[in-house]
Order: sequence, then structure tokens, then C-alpha cells
Amino acid sequence: MDKVKEYKKEKNPFRLFGYHLAAVGEGIKHFIRPKRMTLMYPEEVQALPTGYRGFIRFYKDLCTGCTMCAMICPADAMKMVTQEGKKYPRINYGRCIFCGFCVDICPVDALKETPIHDVAFTSREQFRFPPDLFNEEFQEEPPLLSKPVKRVKPIIDEDRGVIYVPDEQ
Amino acid sequence: MSILSLILFYLLYPSFFITVIFPGAIFALILLLLMIWFERKAAAFVQMRYGPLYASKRLGGALQLIADAIKYAISEIIIPNGVNPTLYALAPMLLITFAFIPIAVIPVSRIPISGSILSKYFLAFYDPDIKSGLYVGYFVPFNLLLALGLASSYSVFVLLTAWVTNNRFALIGAVREAFLSVSYDVLIVMSALALALEYHTLDIAKIVQSGIPGFIANPIAGVVFFIGVIMGTSRFPFEIVEADTEVVMGPYTEYTGLLYVITMGASYIGTYSFALLYSDLFLGGWAPFSGLPGAVWMTFKAVLVLAFSVFLRSVYGRYRIDQAIRGSWKYVLPAALASIILGLVVGWLWIR
Repeated sequence: MDKVKEYKKEKNPFRLFGYHLAAVGEGIKHFIRPKRMTLMYPEEVQALPTGYRGFIRFYKDLCTGCTMCAMICPADAMKMVTQEGKKYPRINYGRCIFCGFCVDICPVDALKETPIHDVAFTSREQFRFPPDLFNEEFQEEPPLLSKPVKRVKPIIDEDRGVIYVPDEQ
Repeated sequence: MSILSLILFYLLYPSFFITVIFPGAIFALILLLLMIWFERKAAAFVQMRYGPLYASKRLGGALQLIADAIKYAISEIIIPNGVNPTLYALAPMLLITFAFIPIAVIPVSRIPISGSILSKYFLAFYDPDIKSGLYVGYFVPFNLLLALGLASSYSVFVLLTAWVTNNRFALIGAVREAFLSVSYDVLIVMSALALALEYHTLDIAKIVQSGIPGFIANPIAGVVFFIGVIMGTSRFPFEIVEADTEVVMGPYTEYTGLLYVITMGASYIGTYSFALLYSDLFLGGWAPFSGLPGAVWMTFKAVLVLAFSVFLRSVYGRYRIDQAIRGSWKYVLPAALASIILGLVVGWLWIR
């Protein structure tokens, strides 16, 4: 068994006092020059890589009604409904875990991932997308903030941990 | 004497002005909100966060605390079954009262014989030790002793608060307070005794008027007294009594709404009244000013001490009760003894 690394206990009270002073000094240093790594979310949004799984768009005219998506869905978010004698999927985003299995399994590519990740719903009814609504493009909500949203990407920094720089794309 | 000057006379009368307006109740309550805001901001800065911000972005989120205070003040006070309602409501009020009371006997400034707006109280508050008036709520010649005695009665009411709520977490917190109070009271009294021996007096005013700040004359006593203060008023790293991750809120577990605000504020007010004492004893008090500017200068130093003691939250974790008691008896008590010896030597050689 490996030996657990243990810090030596300091016996000398003067050196102990010095350590306390050093700790307080370090705190004061951070207090005077704060190194924040907060992402100011509504004003700044982290730019995500392409292929990051987002909300799902349904193409109704491609769908063959094979029910594979409803079968594979691990959270039972995707269910089939019958419209004019044909089966179409509908989705409940209250249950969806964005695993993307339905997109992968669809044999005719009638389901696609979209690059939309921030959508706000005002009621629980709006989580459910029947096939016709599911077929439409996502309507981007008008921004709540007066200023345009800044897109930033995180960079590992040796001094501060994480810093956010503006994303060029 | 016109009615206006009569009003001004009673408004500035030391027993009223010091205890109620400045640096007493009203100023202390405003300071309480500011200090809790400062505590959250300081901890956020050190932990690479922003702290409260969105309530008022330009003021750095200072209005967040006012929102919190209003929210607490209008929320329901739940009185648990099986407690005595009178004692239940009375205990936090006694707690905050006894946290406040030492302010009444701590001298805030000196009253010169003429030239100040306060000079008309010169004779009523004449201190024969410093041969000058003393701006203090209630003058007694042995005010160091009285202030320490009143301040140390605070822990009794922590025990009362825990006892009347009849809650097991509260009782654990009360036992911790009882354990700790022995440790910190000894430290505070011994370091104050060191200063009293050094300056040959029990009058705080004479210590200030000697012109030598206590921290220069006896730095060991200064450090020991500060450790005793943060231990006694449960600031970090000795926030053992109301350790909210271990015993829900210690003695204050059962309190809700306004009564909870009072119990939480009491420990800050306790730190504040000790900080006023600290400013007088160790940081030179009002010297070299006198009158109202002296009071402002002395209170400013006390606020700095208070700010530093709440800042420690961001630096330290919480000690266990055995670690705190061991540290206090094993390391700080010998330092307190050393401070008494240092006080005797310096008082014999230097300070006459």
C-alpha cells in the first residue's frame, strides 16, 4: 500500500504564527487584486463548439413514421402521435436529456441537431412540441437585454485559472 | 436659550448621542448591514467571484442587504411548540442589548474645556484622571473593568437563547459556547490586565491620553486580545458556536424572521463593541483629535478592526472545538502571560 503523504505538524509556535500571517497576507492580496473567473451569463454567453448537442428540429416530409426515435428515447421524451393515418414523433423538452440518440438512429435523417441552446419557456405547456410545431424552425426570441450578447470562449490561464476572451467567429 | 439650542443640547448630550446615534444604535445598525455586505464581497473577491451584484450594479450590490433585511423583517415568526413564548421572544432581545451595552461605558472622545460644540458638557463629564471632559455615555473611573464585565455577560445570553428554544442543535451550540467562553474570557481579561498594569490605570481615557498606542507598547497583548475577540463573538476561524454546516445555526436554530435577524446581528454588534474597545486600548483611540472629530476618528479605527475580523472568513476554515480550545490554552494563554510580564516591564521602565 502506498504511503499517504502527510504534512509535518509545525511545533514551533513562532513559525505557526508566521504561517497565519502569511495566510492572512495572501487573503489581503486576493482582496486588493481580485482574480475573478465568473462568466457574466446573460450579458456574456460561452461560445460552444460545432456539433454541441442542442435543440432538435424535425423534418416532417422526410419522416417515414418508423417509430425508431420513440423506441430509443431513454427519457420517454419522444412519443408517436397519429395524424391523418400516419405516425409522427412529438417531443417533450421537459423530459428530453439531449442525448441525441433519436438523431443518430433516424434512418432517413428526419431529425437534426440545431445550434440553439438557450431557450426559455414561460409555462410547462410550452415544453411539448406536437409534430407540426416540431417541424418548424426555432423562433429566436428577441433579446431581453438592450445590449447585444457577447460571445466568449474560455481559455486556461496559468495565473488566473480560467479567463474568457471574445470569440471571433 | 432658544428652543433650537435646547434641542441641540439634548441631542448632543453624551448619554443620548453616544448610545443612540453615533457610534451607538443607529450607526451600528447601518454599519451592520454594510459589514455583512462587506463580508460577502470580501469572501467573493478572495474566492474569485463577484458576490452580490445585481440588486444595484453601480453600488456593487449594496442594496441586496437591504432587500434581505426587508425580506427577513416581514417573514413570519414561528414559535415552536413547548417553549415559553415570553422567554423565547425575550432571549434574542437581551442578547443584542448586552452586545450593545458596553458601548455606553467606552469613552469615545475627549471634551476640551472650550472651543468645541461639546464643551458645555465639560463639567458634567469631567474625568479627574486626564483632567479633561470625557465624551462617554456613562462615566465611571474604572470603565475598562466595567466594559469588560458587561461584554463578558454576552455569553450568558447565548446560553439563555439556546436553553429557551429547547432544541438539540441549540443545546450543542450552547455547550460549545460554554466551553469557549472560559477560553476567550481568560484571554481578553489577561491582555486587558496587561495594559492596565502597563499604564497603571483602569481608566481607558488615561490609556488613550498617554499618547502611546497600546499596540506599540504591548503588541503581544494586542494580538491576544484580538484573538479573544474573534473567539468570543464567533467570527472565523472560531465560528464554532453557530457552525451552520454542523449544528444548523447553533443556539439560534429555532429562530425565524425578525428574531433571527436580531440573533445574527448580535454577534456582529458584539464584535463592534469589542472593536471600539480595541480601538481605544490598542490603536490610540481619538488621539490626537478631540470633540466630535475625535469620535469619528476613533470609530473609523474600530470599523477597520471590525472589517478585518469579518474579512477573516475568506481566509480561514473553521476549527474544531478541540482544536480551538487546545490552541487557546496551549499557545495563546502563554502569550497572554508573556504580555502581562511585558506590560510589567514596559510599565516600570517606560510608561510612567
